[in-house]
Amino acid sequence: MNLRAIGCNFRTAPVALREKLAIEGKALDEATAGLAARFEAEVVVLSTCNRVEVYLAKPAGDAPVEPAAIAEALGEWAGLSSGDILKVLYVHSDEAAVRHVCRVAASLDSLVVGEGQIAGQVKKAYDAAGRLGTAGPFLHTLMPFALKTAKKIRTDTGIAKGHVSVPSVAVDYVRQVFDHFSDKTVLVIGAGKMGRLTLTHLKDLRPKQILVTNRSSEKAEETAAACGGRAIPWVDLDAALARADIVLSTTGAPVPVVGKSRFDAAVRPFRTGGPLVVLDIAVPRDFDPALHDGDRVVVVNVDDLARVRDETLAERRRHLAPAEAIVDHAVRAFAADWARRKSGPVIRKLTAEFDRVREGVTGPLLTRFNGKLTPEEKQAVEYAFRLFQNQLLHGPIAALHESSAEAGHGTLLDALKKMFRLGE
Amino acid sequence: MSASPLQGVTHACFGLSYLVAFGLELARWAAPGRGWLRPTGLAFGAAGLFAQTLYLVYHHPSPAEPYAALLLVAWVLAVFYLYGTIHHARQAWAVFVLPVILGLVGLSLALLTGGPDANSGVPAWLTTDHTWGAIHGILILLAAVGVSVAFLASVMYLVQAHRLRAKTNPLGGLKMLSLERLEAMNRRAVNLAFPLLTAGLVLGAILLRPTHDLPTNWLSVKFLGTAGLWLAFLVLLYLRYATHVPGRRLALGTIAAFALMVAVLAATHPFAEGPK
Repeated sequence: MNLRAIGCNFRTAPVALREKLAIEGKALDEATAGLAARFEAEVVVLSTCNRVEVYLAKPAGDAPVEPAAIAEALGEWAGLSSGDILKVLYVHSDEAAVRHVCRVAASLDSLVVGEGQIAGQVKKAYDAAGRLGTAGPFLHTLMPFALKTAKKIRTDTGIAKGHVSVPSVAVDYVRQVFDHFSDKTVLVIGAGKMGRLTLTHLKDLRPKQILVTNRSSEKAEETAAACGGRAIPWVDLDAALARADIVLSTTGAPVPVVGKSRFDAAVRPFRTGGPLVVLDIAVPRDFDPALHDGDRVVVVNVDDLARVRDETLAERRRHLAPAEAIVDHAVRAFAADWARRKSGPVIRKLTAEFDRVREGVTGPLLTRFNGKLTPEEKQAVEYAFRLFQNQLLHGPIAALHESSAEAGHGTLLDALKKMFRLGE
Repeated sequence: MSASPLQGVTHACFGLSYLVAFGLELARWAAPGRGWLRPTGLAFGAAGLFAQTLYLVYHHPSPAEPYAALLLVAWVLAVFYLYGTIHHARQAWAVFVLPVILGLVGLSLALLTGGPDANSGVPAWLTTDHTWGAIHGILILLAAVGVSVAFLASVMYLVQAHRLRAKTNPLGGLKMLSLERLEAMNRRAVNLAFPLLTAGLVLGAILLRPTHDLPTNWLSVKFLGTAGLWLAFLVLLYLRYATHVPGRRLALGTIAAFALMVAVLAATHPFAEGPK
């Protein structure tokens, strides 16, 4: 194995540098092909907003690629000094690199542990290398293996359980109350940035209609146009609350917009439908928390959503140890399997050579005794020679298998090749 | 004549099967990731249903017998449990249905005093030999199933509403249907049970009138309880459609109606003619 994983991530490089190094599309393809040609190696380049990594595999015995050379190449495509890049690069070699790619694919090395995007990004990088022809036998073995390991970790542990983005958690609350959305009305109050993000998630539920209101009618019109909703005047807020099913409130008002007394007097008596879910993600809060009863009115504010997100992250961290154990096992299995693959051709040649020698001895011998031996006796002689050969070969083959995961495996292979003149 | 092997199938056979299925279901939620728990639990549940079916087929008890009425309702709920557990694999369906089945089986066992084949005096017109008696029994039984489903939906509704009230992690703990879905399940079950109960009750009164007009029969727990149940459902329907009371109150009302129904099913039939 001659593998290197060289790169930088959110821990080692500031976002300003990562932004410059992160490339995609045609530029990424050109960089991947360029690296493969430059270093005469199998290459996969993973480029995301949180990491840029190059996986390089070369034939065993070749000099591995040094981080300085990668820094130089990265500097060329990003227009940066290679010295600045070298400072933030890390390097993992051989089994450590296998471990690293498995951890990356399983999102154990991610900013948000357990996030689901990275496995897709690794697959995309590998697919690109396959398309460009920069992935060879080693990376064609390693990358699917890493993705398979990541899938096993996600399935067998709780590392990816739950949602950790505020909009996703907000939608989870909505789904606890409502089953279908084609007859639901979403009312958007205000137009904060987080509100727009949450609204995108709510829009994915395909509600019947989206109403938007704001103290500024222009902003209401603008938000309504962006989400395919309908702007309504601010004075109609109570009437809109009376017929809404889901409210997304995100104003910048310094005091609550809807207090309990206002709701009880102007909204509650006019509500005839089902429950009302209020996603109050404004700071300070827009809705009086006293309205929350978990039945008729469910009020979820930004603190509730942040608490659930933190709980989910803490729960995911509990699964880190079992996930790392799966990675440990996978790395050992990969190294042993790869070494075994390497031994395969040598064992085949060794066996073929012994077969040739055995047949060279038994053939003339049986010819000499032609007519004097019965077919059963001939078979017994052949069997004895075959048994002798197998017992003779058992030691070297077993030694090869036993040493497959050890550092001296290559030396043993070379020694066998030389001793039995097996050639390349 | 040798005894049939089916004679050996008792309440303990299916009761214990359901109990093991319930234990495995609880373990499944307590220790997620152990994939074998669900199919094993389902296998025990299915075995329990099979044993209970054999018991009912072999003894074919009259639904007018209190123990049998409870057992028949438990059987329909067991079918409901298996269907729900297979079709809503991600929901904690069985955690709610199995305790009700176990409770009904347990109560049925407690009421079984003279053995499954003993006739405690059910009048002829209430047995399956009499068409109108059989129709009356089936109507009341179906209504009881509807009430049981409404009860389950109500319990799940209250648990879900409690979780929302406490703002627990939506994806943590037991996976449950939404409030809207549970409310719809409750509504449909009550809407279905009410006409069945009404028809069953009216038919029972008509059948009773020519032969039994003693005030003691009309004032029995069974008759008054059934009439009370009918009234309770009328009130529930009124609250739901006329006054739009919160789902939590409707759920509590449905649970009270279920308790009344169990008492009615467990009560001795007023028209019983004494053990034969």
